[in-house]
Amino acid sequence: MEDLTPEQAREALDVVGRARADVALEVGLPRWYWWAMAAGWVVLGVIGAVGPVWLTTVATIAFGAGHSAVASRLLDGRRRTRGLQVSRAVADRRVPLAVILMLLVLVAVTVGAALALDADGARHSQVWAAVIVAAVIGFGGPEILQTLRRWMHA
Amino acid sequence: MSEARFDELIHPSTRLSLVATLAATDWAEFAYLRDLLSLSDSALSKQLSTLEAAGYLVTERLSAGRRRTVRAQLTDTGRDAFAGHVAALQAIVGGDGPVG
Repeated sequence: MEDLTPEQAREALDVVGRARADVALEVGLPRWYWWAMAAGWVVLGVIGAVGPVWLTTVATIAFGAGHSAVASRLLDGRRRTRGLQVSRAVADRRVPLAVILMLLVLVAVTVGAALALDADGARHSQVWAAVIVAAVIGFGGPEILQTLRRWMHA
Repeated sequence: MSEARFDELIHPSTRLSLVATLAATDWAEFAYLRDLLSLSDSALSKQLSTLEAAGYLVTERLSAGRRRTVRAQLTDTGRDAFAGHVAALQAIVGGDGPVG
């Protein structure tokens, strides 16, 4: 081997670290997933506002089941794009936890927004709350998840 | 912990980036690698061929409808060589001097 100085070796290790970090940035969920979830959020909000209780219950269960079926394949975040599959070693196990945490927060925000709108006398407060949160999910889902991952070091 | 083994084939900067990227993936497509590493098609092809000839990676041609892609993935030999090379670099940084 050539005589490598510690400085040169450190530079090479930096190259390795950057490559791994670039791949780690690919951990996440595909864009269509966020828009599908946003659409589901609005549908649930509308059903909750205008539908009978049994329909709301069925829709919620269906949404949950559908979401679970899709998410179980996607939640590890290893297939955000078609271009690569991130290795398990790079996709931190805390990513699914971050997604679940995010969902719980979004549910809480939806309920809070609906109550606030209702207290303000808005009509169809549930629908508007769902639309607001759906917009947040659709437009900002990936960014919110990335921020959460940074906080959790996931 | 892998045995430290400096690898002349992996060490050049572009190839090191390429192998390090593939080491962090199960597989990656040609277009992703080309864009990430800012290489031309021919330059990336050449690097992949060199590494494939050494048994460090395999490429696979796929076609889904009109979409044709080439996927690359490191072999176990490639992963071992990369891990050994990284261990060798760490040993040098750690002050162990040259590693064979």
